[in-house]
Amino acid sequence: MITRQIFNRLALASAIVAFSGGALLAQDYPDKIRIGDVGFGFGTPFGRGITAIADAKGFIAAEFKDKPTKIEFTYFVNTGPAINEALANNQLDFASYGAVPNTIGRANGLQTRILSSYGSTTIFAGAKAGLPIHSVKDLKGKKIAVQKATIIHWSLINSLKQNGLTEKDVTLVDLKNADQLAAITAGSVDAIYGGSFFLPLKDKGILNVIYNTAKESPKATGFGAFVVADSFQQKYPDATQRVVRGIVKASEWLAKEENRGEAFEIWGRTGVPLAVLETEFDGVPLKEAFGPLIDDFFVSQYRDVIAFNKEQKLIRNDVDFNAWAEPKYVNAALKELKLENFWARRNADGISAKPSN
Amino acid sequence: MTRLAVPLVLPVAVLLLWQITAARGWLSPQTLPAPALVLSTLIDLIRDGEIATNLQISLRRILVGLAIGTSLGLFAGALLGVSRRMNDYFGPIINALSQIPSLGWVPILILIFGLDETVKYLIIAKACFVPTVLATSQGIRNIPRAYIEVGQVLGLRRRTTLTKLIVPAALPTIFGGIRLALSNAWVALIVVEMLAATEGVGYMMVWGRTLFQVDIVIAGMIVIGVIGLAMDSGLARVERRMRRWEPKNV
Repeated sequence: MITRQIFNRLALASAIVAFSGGALLAQDYPDKIRIGDVGFGFGTPFGRGITAIADAKGFIAAEFKDKPTKIEFTYFVNTGPAINEALANNQLDFASYGAVPNTIGRANGLQTRILSSYGSTTIFAGAKAGLPIHSVKDLKGKKIAVQKATIIHWSLINSLKQNGLTEKDVTLVDLKNADQLAAITAGSVDAIYGGSFFLPLKDKGILNVIYNTAKESPKATGFGAFVVADSFQQKYPDATQRVVRGIVKASEWLAKEENRGEAFEIWGRTGVPLAVLETEFDGVPLKEAFGPLIDDFFVSQYRDVIAFNKEQKLIRNDVDFNAWAEPKYVNAALKELKLENFWARRNADGISAKPSN
Repeated sequence: MTRLAVPLVLPVAVLLLWQITAARGWLSPQTLPAPALVLSTLIDLIRDGEIATNLQISLRRILVGLAIGTSLGLFAGALLGVSRRMNDYFGPIINALSQIPSLGWVPILILIFGLDETVKYLIIAKACFVPTVLATSQGIRNIPRAYIEVGQVLGLRRRTTLTKLIVPAALPTIFGGIRLALSNAWVALIVVEMLAATEGVGYMMVWGRTLFQVDIVIAGMIVIGVIGLAMDSGLARVERRMRRWEPKNV
């Protein structure tokens, strides 16, 4: 009889604790925040942007040190579609990926909001060694390997346009990175467009680099966004703010030239050789490459990608950028951290306005 | 009537579950679009010729690969089945090569042959070769000793022994191997088209995934399922016809 009474009381007490505790947690902070990024490398993939820095240096975890919330990072190897799928299946709360796949996700009804810029990726074109191809103009009539429906595909079309060519002047072959390397080595294609992944082939004498967006055309440089699942942002505005603050801190850390070496070391966990990273970012200040701002340039580049997606029939429905972007978090973070004028705001053409003070 | 209806029970149940899942929103529409959307996408793809164009390319790859793979497989299988010495020489190496999945062959073949159709034919042919060799050699080796002895007692010529005894007796096993080859061919086709192609049904499905339009992926699955089933039952029919010559009660 007595044991039964005790048991009942215990049960009641634990129910109250569980209920109130659960309710508190549900309203304030999630137990776990899941962040996805594009991954590279063999074995356990790792990222090579702001998110990877925030992960390695614990900038986001530090924002939650007074909370029970755990931060979990997942790197999806070379792929935007897998990130779209993970967001659709509610396996991710935040994700950092290229503008083309995240526009595709949004156009197909994925409820995301753009929080900040993930920075920029230099895109290169390489031509098979021995062929008379020295610039983008020489690509007329040639066969080019590229992974379609990526930011690289967009960059390729942009660079052709800037050089007076159109897609009709070339033959595009849709291949994944590793197959592109095989294809150019075997001579099946004349040129490839991609990130720094193919630079090692230059040292092997297989190809020449004929184009580099960082040097020749910032408007064709790869970019993308750090996005949040809309439902998460609505449910946990404060947690969202903290995550974005961590991301901005990671950007600020990257902006300091003295951290350049350490940043390369962190990105080197992807297995990308240090020399490749050095070539990739040669003459590129990381402060400029990894600014988190949603400025006029970012907006106009996104609009360009949306138009590209429609033109290439990658999306069926239109995407309204204004309804998609949610710059309030990044702006609040910049204000709190007194970094409002740290990164120069660029106009739609990519020209930096002078900081106001 | 019931014989026709029974195989439909499971598909109808799956379709029903799918419809309920979609209607109740158990899975997001991006993950599992409603059957009606898939049907309308399928109709669109058929109407604008996308399916026909891609299917034509894929079927050519299948047929060429299957023809090369099974004819080489029949030849090699017959040799291995008839001759113990041949089996000792080549059996282990064929066995070892067949353990490497098609996927493992792709990178090296692309390096050697580039992105031409050759790579696709070879991958599919390899996928068809393996089950055909195994089934043929096994089919021949498993012919009861007694049959051969009867042939010897009757004083049959080598040729007669082969056409009237060995082939008919091994045929069911061999046909099993060829049907397996056909289904392997589809697997290899999809693998190779997903990795290194810019057209075909497999590529269409990868593209559907890239565009985050799962309806295209499911439409591709339906097309492959229907065509595969048709080809398999075609083969089964050929097998029945060939076995008509088989004497009854053997």
